Amino acid sequence: MLAVETSGLTRCFGPVRAVDGLNLRVEAGQFFGFLGPNGAGKSTTIKMLTGLLAPTSGSMRVLETDLSTTAAARSVKRRIGVVPEDLALFDNLTAREYLTFIGRMYLLPSETVRQRCQELLAMMDLDREEKKTTLEYSHGMKKKLALAAALLPNPDLLFLDEPFEGVDAVASRMLRDVLLGFVKRGTTVFLTSHVLEIVEKLCTHVGIVAQGKLVLQASMDDVRQNGSLEERFLEVVGNGQVEKQKLSWLEE
Amino acid sequence: MANPTLSHLRTMLWLRWRLTRNQWRRGGVVNVVIMFIVVYAGLALAAIGSVAGLAAGIFGLPYARPVEILFVFDGLIAVFLFMWMMGLVTELQRSEVFDLTRFLHLPVALRDVFLLNYLASLLCLSMAAIVPAMLGLTLGLAVGCGPAMLLLLPLVLGFFFMITAWTYRLRGWLAALMVNKRRRQAVIMGVTLAFILVFQLPNLIVNVWGGPGHTRPPQTPEGLAQWQAERQAEEYETEAVFNAVHQVVPLLWLPNGAKGLAEGRVWPALWGALGMIALGSWGFAGAYRGTLRFYQGNGTAKVPAASPVTNTRHEAGKTIFVERSLPLVPQPVTALGLAVLRSMSRAPEVKMALTMNIVIFGVIGAGVIMRRPGTAPAELLPFLACGAAAVTFMGLTQLLFNHFGFDRNGFRALVLLPTPRRHILMGKNLALLVVAFGVFSVFLVMVTALARLRFSDVAAAVLEFAAVFLIMSVLGNLASILAPYRVGAGTMKATKMTGLTALLVFVGHFVSMAAIVPAFFPPLLGMLIGYFTPLSVTVATLLCAAVLAGLAALLYWQTLAPLGRLLERREPKILEMVTHEVE
Ligand SMILES: Nc1ncnc2c1ncn2[C@@H]1O[C@H](COP(=O)(O)OP(=O)(O)OP(=O)(O)O)[C@@H](O)[C@H]1O
Ligand SMILES: [Mg+2]
Repeated sequence: MLAVETSGLTRCFGPVRAVDGLNLRVEAGQFFGFLGPNGAGKSTTIKMLTGLLAPTSGSMRVLETDLSTTAAARSVKRRIGVVPEDLALFDNLTAREYLTFIGRMYLLPSETVRQRCQELLAMMDLDREEKKTTLEYSHGMKKKLALAAALLPNPDLLFLDEPFEGVDAVASRMLRDVLLGFVKRGTTVFLTSHVLEIVEKLCTHVGIVAQGKLVLQASMDDVRQNGSLEERFLEVVGNGQVEKQKLSWLEE
Repeated sequence: MANPTLSHLRTMLWLRWRLTRNQWRRGGVVNVVIMFIVVYAGLALAAIGSVAGLAAGIFGLPYARPVEILFVFDGLIAVFLFMWMMGLVTELQRSEVFDLTRFLHLPVALRDVFLLNYLASLLCLSMAAIVPAMLGLTLGLAVGCGPAMLLLLPLVLGFFFMITAWTYRLRGWLAALMVNKRRRQAVIMGVTLAFILVFQLPNLIVNVWGGPGHTRPPQTPEGLAQWQAERQAEEYETEAVFNAVHQVVPLLWLPNGAKGLAEGRVWPALWGALGMIALGSWGFAGAYRGTLRFYQGNGTAKVPAASPVTNTRHEAGKTIFVERSLPLVPQPVTALGLAVLRSMSRAPEVKMALTMNIVIFGVIGAGVIMRRPGTAPAELLPFLACGAAAVTFMGLTQLLFNHFGFDRNGFRALVLLPTPRRHILMGKNLALLVVAFGVFSVFLVMVTALARLRFSDVAAAVLEFAAVFLIMSVLGNLASILAPYRVGAGTMKATKMTGLTALLVFVGHFVSMAAIVPAFFPPLLGMLIGYFTPLSVTVATLLCAAVLAGLAALLYWQTLAPLGRLLERREPKILEMVTHEVE
């Protein structure tokens, strides 16, 4: 079964082709790392796959469902959890309120909602200052709350846009274990990250995009056969230019 | 090296120009056209005002008595202050041209940024209408009456400096207070009281000074002479008070100086100008200090006395507000409705939008009824009752017509939800129903007490309220989908819109007024039916109200699904509108 499948997926912003004819195939149950340099089109792809952004052209299938009709897209939303680029929090709700709200919107029974909220808040270490609204949260706290909300409905597919960015070491460790647990149970995880060490440790498969185009898609085992992930990454997108750049005023 | 202040100023003006230009490029042609229309309207107003002022100064006023010149300036000031107040009320959340937070870390004198912001705040319609007129008038008088009249120039400038500086200070002060949660309540109360006072001022003045009216002159010659003498004395007394007021109240120093100049006295003008500039500088300095404190964040921050470790852990088993459920209402609708209510109860920008409007309309409404409590004829009572419903909605359009603008990033969460979109609309409407009904109850109780409404009037009003709420919800849902705009978070800062959205919002306000009209159908029809048929007016009104409510419910129900689909189609567009700040 394919969790994500796109063909010719394209999104333009004016003259810029942020995503350019992307053909992506992610099997269900994979821990998929979606990599690429800044501005490569990773977040744009995730936004399109989750319905936050309309594609300019091309087609997408998520969990074997074609997303071209709104009704189908909505039925898929029931089965996915998302941490989008700029998160999706309400400024004036507390963490518990927000999670409860999300749980109820997914039609979970109230006991389940309550129990999962409790566990997630404890895991993310967000249960100490319950009076704080998300407006008063730090960057990392917001990220953790968004992660909790994505995990809460127990989704079949997780889209995580830079889930580890800004998160402290303790939570990061916990989160890695949790994600591995989800994958072991059959959930597909689709994440972007710039921390290649984490990706290398966690992911079973990677795809690398540059300038909106897929330049590499392989299993982690294949990647490791010729060096580390970092080496492959630099080779594919860096064109060996890493050493040459200098700041003129550092030389003086 | 070049003067750092100058080069900073130049850079910032360049920045503003770039921001605006880039915004226009993104906004498209319509926005540019609208912007130009507004700018041209302002320029035209200024041109007409200055020419009219000049003409009046040259040809009209030189033959006028000094006191008439005084009246002319009094009038201009009254018009200006009224427009200015209206501007203040509608745009208390005025955004600044340069967001100071973006400059705090740069080696720029914040004084310069502040100065530019202040100067930019001067560009508004009320200033465009009155300042050129006053300047024209000054020049005209100088031509017509002699160059001594040129002393009006510092007077006029001093006047506007004083007003704008103190307004600026007031705005900054309010914004700073609104950041602090506890003081927010106090501010809202204070502003409420201030507006009640301002709007009731004419009433008070009429009641205090209007008196019982003049007696008729007696018929006998001796009596007549005495009567005339008394009148004379009274007039002198009034004039003395009038003059004293003009000398004491800073707002009136401009007319006072003008009168002095017309009489050939220079000192009142000089003193007035000096005084107003001094007062203005005082306000300005305060505004500057307040702004700095606000942005650097040490304004309201007193270290709490020996802060105890606040244990705000959740008590296990305690039900929180958003967990509650309502009978018959689908779970997602309840959940969203409660979450929105909770958010609104914490969002100062929402409270501000709500209180300002409600206070204004409430005060005007109450002012009308309170003239003569309990004396309205019975035929009028149904109209008064449904007036309570109508007034409720006048203050709520901002919330009803922009559901998603207050969500900002939260709207992304709604897009990600698997919930049917009609449930999302219903949830939003449910939250506002609670708010609107709360407001309506206050008004209704007020009207009921003051005008002695009967039970049937109240019942009809409730039905009319329901009808208008449903109609407004349909329109509001549509407007929220078609013309969403971002509302700044937390403080009262930043609610910038593109030209097109501003136009749509403006049109939306008129549409919302039209949607209130049906509220008056039931009492009107009831009266007609009662007149032409044996049915009693009361019963007829109630019946009509029930039918109206039924029709509105039908309309709401029928439009829910199509509007939901429209929402779903436009979600990405709305998301872009409410998550991107207009710079
Ligand atoms: N709203 C937008 N308007 C215009 N251009 C955009 C917009 N969003 C993204 N882009 C452009 O699309 C391209 C891809 O952006 P995207 O955010 O997908 O990159 P990314 O791979 O997520 O980068 P990063 O690693 O920095 O997060 C960039 O060139 C960016 O400038
Ligand atoms: Mg990104």
